[in-house]
Amino acid sequence: MAEYSWEARSPLRKAFAPGRIGLASGDAGIAMAEISDFSLVQVMARRGQVANVAKAAKKAWGALPPERPAAVVGKGATLIWTGPDQFFVLSAGSVPDPVPPLAAIFGGTASLSDQSGGRCLIQLSGTRARDALAKVSSIDLHDAVFPIGAAAATSIDHTGVNLWRGPDAANGSSVYSLLVFTSFADSLWHTLADAAAEYGVEATRTPLS
Amino acid sequence: MRIACPFCGERELGEFTYLGDAAPKRPLAFAADGAEQPDAQDLFFDYVYLRDNIAGDMNERWYHGGGCRSWLTVTRNTTTHEIKAVRAAPGAGAQKPAKAGAIS
Repeated sequence: MAEYSWEARSPLRKAFAPGRIGLASGDAGIAMAEISDFSLVQVMARRGQVANVAKAAKKAWGALPPERPAAVVGKGATLIWTGPDQFFVLSAGSVPDPVPPLAAIFGGTASLSDQSGGRCLIQLSGTRARDALAKVSSIDLHDAVFPIGAAAATSIDHTGVNLWRGPDAANGSSVYSLLVFTSFADSLWHTLADAAAEYGVEATRTPLS
Repeated sequence: MRIACPFCGERELGEFTYLGDAAPKRPLAFAADGAEQPDAQDLFFDYVYLRDNIAGDMNERWYHGGGCRSWLTVTRNTTTHEIKAVRAAPGAGAQKPAKAGAIS
């Protein structure tokens, strides 16, 4: 059998260019970042095992998996609601196979699927991040409805995304994270950049910390 | 038209896909002893092709593919498009065991 050597590449290699997009004068209203080097595993509770899955997650990360659309920051991982009795486990660092450690945590109570190479993680922050996102999303992003820790499985530009709001940035601006299928990442990046251009965008690439 | 997904909240129609009437139940092709039901052909023809054309409240199956990917049962008035109830279709999520063919 032939030997393959796999090289990790950004799903945004066509659309991404570091630096300024749109409005060129003044401070950029939005920071758009491709977040790299993460592990992402889909966890789906098996029939009747919801309570055991929650218990195992609590033991592993000190946080209960969200029962409603929310993103919970635990010790070493963020648990993001994706649907009834299912969630993503997002953690920093890229590893060849993130499933075995999680299989040890959940035993036979959940079905696990590695999505690390299947999704692209885009982060929007800055004073105008919500304004740009509101142009392309049909959900209500007002602070009262979509506070820190809120999450949604929704569609942006006909593309399914997992959207959540993390803790505010050091300068007090909101931070929104989007997970999108890698094959739609270029397209979504263009859509977000177009929506954000009038506020001025600073595009960067950062590993997940 | 907006549908209030019981898991996600109110969402625009574009996130959902319509399947149709929630009433048809898959008939049994075989009896308990393994013998073919004598009227299985007719029952399956009805199940696959024949639909009531309801003017008024109807239970329908909708799929939230642009969101949480759950199947829903929606009670909609076909003449006014008023949505009276939305609930998870049987088997959505892992909380409750599914009961095949039942309308919840």
